[in-house]
Amino acid sequence: MNLLEIQNLSKKYDGKNVLQDINLYLKKGTTLGLIGPTGCGKTTLLRIIDLIEKPSSGKITFNSREIPKNKKDQLDIRRKMGMVYQKPIVFKGTVYDNICYGLKIRGKNEDSYQDKIKDLLESLGLGGYEKRDASTLSGGETQRMALARALVTDPDLLLLDEPTANLDPQSTEKIENFMKKLRDERKTTVILATHNLIQGQHLSDEIAILNKKIFQIGKPEEVFRKPKSRFVAEFVGVRNVKKGISRRVEDSLTLIDTGTINVYSSSMMEGDVYMSIRPEDITISRSKVQTSALNEFNGEIKEIKDSGGILDLRIDVGEVFSVYITRKSFTDMQLTIGSRVWLEFKASAVNVFKV
Amino acid sequence: MNEIINAFFEAIHLLVTLDPEVIEITLRTLYISITSTVIAAVIAVPVGGYIHFRKFRGKRTIINIIQTLYSMPTVLVGLLVFLLISSQGPLGSLELLFTPGGMIIGQTILVLPIITGFTILALSGVKDEIRDLSLSLGASEFQAIQTIMSEAKYALLGAIILGFGRAISEVGVAMMIGGNIRGYTRVITTTMSLETSKGNVELSIALGIILLMIALIINLVLNYVQEK
Repeated sequence: MNLLEIQNLSKKYDGKNVLQDINLYLKKGTTLGLIGPTGCGKTTLLRIIDLIEKPSSGKITFNSREIPKNKKDQLDIRRKMGMVYQKPIVFKGTVYDNICYGLKIRGKNEDSYQDKIKDLLESLGLGGYEKRDASTLSGGETQRMALARALVTDPDLLLLDEPTANLDPQSTEKIENFMKKLRDERKTTVILATHNLIQGQHLSDEIAILNKKIFQIGKPEEVFRKPKSRFVAEFVGVRNVKKGISRRVEDSLTLIDTGTINVYSSSMMEGDVYMSIRPEDITISRSKVQTSALNEFNGEIKEIKDSGGILDLRIDVGEVFSVYITRKSFTDMQLTIGSRVWLEFKASAVNVFKV
Repeated sequence: MNEIINAFFEAIHLLVTLDPEVIEITLRTLYISITSTVIAAVIAVPVGGYIHFRKFRGKRTIINIIQTLYSMPTVLVGLLVFLLISSQGPLGSLELLFTPGGMIIGQTILVLPIITGFTILALSGVKDEIRDLSLSLGASEFQAIQTIMSEAKYALLGAIILGFGRAISEVGVAMMIGGNIRGYTRVITTTMSLETSKGNVELSIALGIILLMIALIINLVLNYVQEK
């Protein structure tokens, strides 16, 4: 069942589109990673979902109920959500005062929440911090306290706006571990806005690539392996993006002409297209070998980038391809700049998307 | 020179022996200034809050006018209130001229701009994110405003103390509206003004020391509050 449904939502500031035609469906108990570059509209979308800002158009349904116009009814819905901001912000007072804020404004008796507050603080590595002045906490501690502050009221939906953007790796890891617990053990429904692809991929059941509009939404591995647009391909760091014209050559095979080479693909898309081939899906050999791979090209190593255990080779076969190879293979094959090699990759490794 | 030293010792004597006239004038001064500050605060803090939280055309101009009125001459306020409450004025029937009530009205008008202006300043000092944070944690708009007020409470208290400092040290309104009637409207500043002109400096020095001590206490409280 969907907890949140967003249909055709747009937001304009001074006539400029900040968000355009957003459609999102969020199932209960899942984590959605909202991933996009800085300024892509992530924060605005979260603020609209949290009913702090109004959309210019579109429809939002929360728990099967359309967002009402009436402020009091809106407050009831807003109280079912919690949010953690990118910037660590605290109210004046102790950690305990901060955590109890949501309870106080809801008129709840703090006394019956003592065990819960203690559990939350302990699971966030802040056991015994209750009486500390909140303004003296470090950035990482403040963000963990902010998580406790948002979670103490048991929200149906937790909105996280780049919660680790300003933190050191250790603090980031602590928050990420806690978020894994939220997802796997507590089954909290979460929207995590982040520009960090790896974080989004690890912590989300589904990811949405956002840049004013949603370019693609799906399981992380699907979005990473098969980007559906050039923006997503480039954003998720897909290499070897080439433009060409695709035509069908057999029932389940197309040939893409880039102007310099012809690449077989198992995609059925025809016309002007982009394709991408992941560097790890390309193999190289010194001499032509018999393989099942339909795409075979001979070329020359133009550049070698050493990044630890894996080397990134740039090989010119008419188009320049990036290929990853282990240091052992590189040494065994006695490769160097100028070496002639064969590239092989399967037609099914060629991901095709419309221009 | 000797006369000044003698007057100073005489003043100390008046203070140490808790001279009834000195005590009476001090208590009346505190009563009038505290009452006018409280009334002004009750009006100015919500008005300052309204100006801060609402977006409207001419907001900047209003804030500029309020800030200009910080240095409004006390005799001008005295004149304005005099015209209002004199027997020929629109509020003449209330018979407030030369009464503590009239002085309270005058001092309230005098300190209203200071408390309003510094309320706006105090609220501007609270980070914008606090409002969003309150709302996102489930606060209503009103609760969010309460939270911002609470975050600014020490700065707001500072604004009120500043207003009190202005009220207790002014002489124009007290003289023009109160008339310096002995045992009725005479306050520290008007007494000092009159007694000094009569050559009765020991009473003036004694009251001056009290005024200075009040100023010192205000300053200490203000410092303490601002450190919070």
